[in-house]
Amino acid sequence: MIDKVRQLVVDLLDSGRADAVLALANVHANVQPYLYKKGDSLDSLALWPKYSMGPILKSIQAAQPDMKLAVVARGCDDRALVELAKRGQIDLNNVQIIGLACTADEATECECANPYPANIDVGNKVDGVASTDLLAELKGKSYDDRLIFWKQAFDKCIKCYGCRNACPLCICEECILEDDSWVKAGEIPPPFPIFHLIRAYHLSDKCVECGECQNSCPMDIPLTSLYALIRNEFNELFDYIPGAEIDRKSPLVTSLEEDPIREETA
Amino acid sequence: MAGLVASFGSGAMTNSIDEFEDADCILITGSNTTENHPLIANRILRAQEKGAKVIVIDPRKTQIGDLADIYARQNLGSDVAWLNGLINVIISEGWYDKEFVSGRTEGFEELKAKVADYTPDKIEQISGIPAATIKQIAEAYAKAENGSIVYCMGITQHISGTDNVMSLANLAMVTGNVGKRSTGVNPLRGQNNVQGACDLGALPNVFTGYQAVINDELRAKFEKAWGVKLDGKVGQTIMEMMNNAHDGKLAGMYVMAENPMLSDPDINHVREALENLDFLVVQDIFMTETAQLADVVLPGTTYAEKDGTITNTDRTVQRCRKAIEPIGDSKPDWEILALLGQKMGISNFDYNSPEDVYKEIMAVTPIYAGISYERIENETLHWPCPTADHPGTLFLHSGTFSRGLGALKSIDYREPAEMPDNDYPMQLTTGRMMFHFHTGTMTRNSPALHKEVKESYVEVNPSDAKEQGIVEDEKISIASRRGQIEAKARITNKVGRGVVFIPFHFVEGAANVLTNPALDPVAKIPEYKVCAVKVEKI
Amino acid sequence: MNCDFVLTTCPYCGCGCNFYLQVIDGKAVGVVPCKTHPVSKGTLCIKGWNAHQFVHDEKRLTKPLIKKSGRFEEVSWDEALDYTAKRMLEIKEKTGPDSFGFLSSAKCTNEENYLLMKLSRGVMGTNNVDHCARL
Repeated sequence: MIDKVRQLVVDLLDSGRADAVLALANVHANVQPYLYKKGDSLDSLALWPKYSMGPILKSIQAAQPDMKLAVVARGCDDRALVELAKRGQIDLNNVQIIGLACTADEATECECANPYPANIDVGNKVDGVASTDLLAELKGKSYDDRLIFWKQAFDKCIKCYGCRNACPLCICEECILEDDSWVKAGEIPPPFPIFHLIRAYHLSDKCVECGECQNSCPMDIPLTSLYALIRNEFNELFDYIPGAEIDRKSPLVTSLEEDPIREETA
Repeated sequence: MAGLVASFGSGAMTNSIDEFEDADCILITGSNTTENHPLIANRILRAQEKGAKVIVIDPRKTQIGDLADIYARQNLGSDVAWLNGLINVIISEGWYDKEFVSGRTEGFEELKAKVADYTPDKIEQISGIPAATIKQIAEAYAKAENGSIVYCMGITQHISGTDNVMSLANLAMVTGNVGKRSTGVNPLRGQNNVQGACDLGALPNVFTGYQAVINDELRAKFEKAWGVKLDGKVGQTIMEMMNNAHDGKLAGMYVMAENPMLSDPDINHVREALENLDFLVVQDIFMTETAQLADVVLPGTTYAEKDGTITNTDRTVQRCRKAIEPIGDSKPDWEILALLGQKMGISNFDYNSPEDVYKEIMAVTPIYAGISYERIENETLHWPCPTADHPGTLFLHSGTFSRGLGALKSIDYREPAEMPDNDYPMQLTTGRMMFHFHTGTMTRNSPALHKEVKESYVEVNPSDAKEQGIVEDEKISIASRRGQIEAKARITNKVGRGVVFIPFHFVEGAANVLTNPALDPVAKIPEYKVCAVKVEKI
Repeated sequence: MNCDFVLTTCPYCGCGCNFYLQVIDGKAVGVVPCKTHPVSKGTLCIKGWNAHQFVHDEKRLTKPLIKKSGRFEEVSWDEALDYTAKRMLEIKEKTGPDSFGFLSSAKCTNEENYLLMKLSRGVMGTNNVDHCARL
């Protein structure tokens, strides 16, 4: 698989169809994001563990908007790029996506429901993880018990903002989590449940299931389960999957004149 | 440090970070772990998730106290008492490790006789921890297969700091919880390279790798390596230097990236001391409170602008890599020192890179001798690592202690240097918090951190607040025999009755105006964690 | 345009987390946790996440300073180091090596601590060297 990615990267750079390719590299015996340019050795190229490519691409485009970029993107990256483009954060016209399908092991590790991009260039489509034990357990709990579960989980929160910082779709310039009138500043753990509910609500139409929130959590809080529950309800209500369709806006940004809820069709 | 050296023969975390995850019982005292060592708290909470009992004994019920299976609030500075009490229960109940005690330690009979006086009821009187809780903690820790102890400055910053540490070592040895995986006595280091600064001999009594300056043979080794004659008497600690400067017995100081004007106890005394010097050089990244008093200020760089190595709390030597060019005309600190050494007429101060310096360190430091830049590109190495093919050492004291037999020390409880009285009826304790670091030089210049906590505050127990009519966010006065400050009140059950807490990061409302410079007689650590204060409305 | 990710050790507590400083055209613009690092495993606390912020702060010291008649004046490195060396050697000569003291730093590298220690013992000739492990 990696050889095929390597070849695609070389072709893009050598042909001049891309000025640089954003991928991963093994440097100092660790895996990191890396911006490959023409002439760079691709021996260091790596695929796993994944890093979120959307925010890095955004920072590169902000520094040099006219750069012809390519990016090695997994399913979650692909959806994040689409959602970022829709929300005016990046320009996909100048970006070529090298679609990488996750392996079954990778999908299992991420508990990912959709472990492949819209267009697969490398790898084969494997089935995603439909549900997890924890999700089933949470759905079986009463609301009171769920509240207790989340209260105990968030009692560990050290307010690192890692969930927000790592989220490719947390794009607000002024973050309401840092607004003292919503969330009292300087408290550990942060006030429950407002801190985490604001984030969950903000992600209901944005979460692309990349799992970076949970991966970044130093306290092992099962954040993806919380967001999955909300995302699923949101999807049932609005029939909207973040990152799926590039030309459909989120129902939450639709103007009030239209009815954002799709009528049930018989 | 000094306590662990006396008990075990070397002073560092005995075990490594990942090992916490497999402990069955973790006893934490004097460490606000989630706020000050979050990634170690991570391992501890993972252990708890797997069934380990987490015990927290701390005067403040911090987040880790809230999350603990057993939490106990002790009176400030009563640690030797409750630790002797635990050991008493463990010995009298027969829960101690007889094999370990007889095979690997000395001094058991004396310890047994000493702790016999510390009955649970007496402990309750001195420490405020209920007798039943003492028994519960003793049983949980002693009966664990792998019991681990974690402590931090809440244990060491007392006049009895060394005694406290030796008491923790007693507890671990009596129960056989040292020298094997997921056990040990683990001091958490509060700055990214405290361990390294100690290892590299930035201490008045040792060269690198804890090689004593009073040892003729070792001194001769350094004399040969450096080509100079070296002095064989132990030098002065920070606190001694400050006192000597104050008394006119020290003429000059060179301060590299430290801010004693905020970090040292009794700041007014520190100011007088530094102003009394003929010559003060400060090398730093910002114009700190200390730099303002200097005759020469040399602009060093941040970690982002330099190469080098850093040794973390579990003895892992890691790289710091240069990411950007030095800002303005600033220079990496190693380069400034190398240039100054040359200016002072020393030929062997001619280094081209940090790796040049590091090679010299390897040559004179047995515990680092096998840890090269090349190896740490690919490997995680914990010292001691004496040779190029040595795998490094995850946990210390396996099979034998550095000093041979582990020393069980019989120790009596002593009161803190300054107890509350009619003039100063309350007690102050100090520490750090999540959003700031040490004297705030870095964090108060970081907008995201400043936004969380902009100014100093004082934690007051709700009952005390009610008694004095103090409300949340009200600015109040806190005074000790050494000075007076003002800070906003935070009313919280984190602190017990009669105790207030102030973080020491802030120059306005600086906690260390109030703190007591009374020293531990061995380690020379000041008693930051207890002094008498009065708290009043303004 | 250059965009690099430089692996380094966090400047704050002793845990020893590693992260990447994201550098765009010579400026540290952000922090990316290192997922393969044995201590931090892709996570950080709030201080680590923001460890790039103070690096480019406009209040950073950028020039050597010497206090002349009570006020700091910008000087060249040569002047600053010559003056410092001269004053230190004078003190050594006049009141002896032990009338001088060094405070090293738990925020500096091993190499820097070694050099300060060597400067104290090997050049000034005093064991008066310490740092804030106790504080």
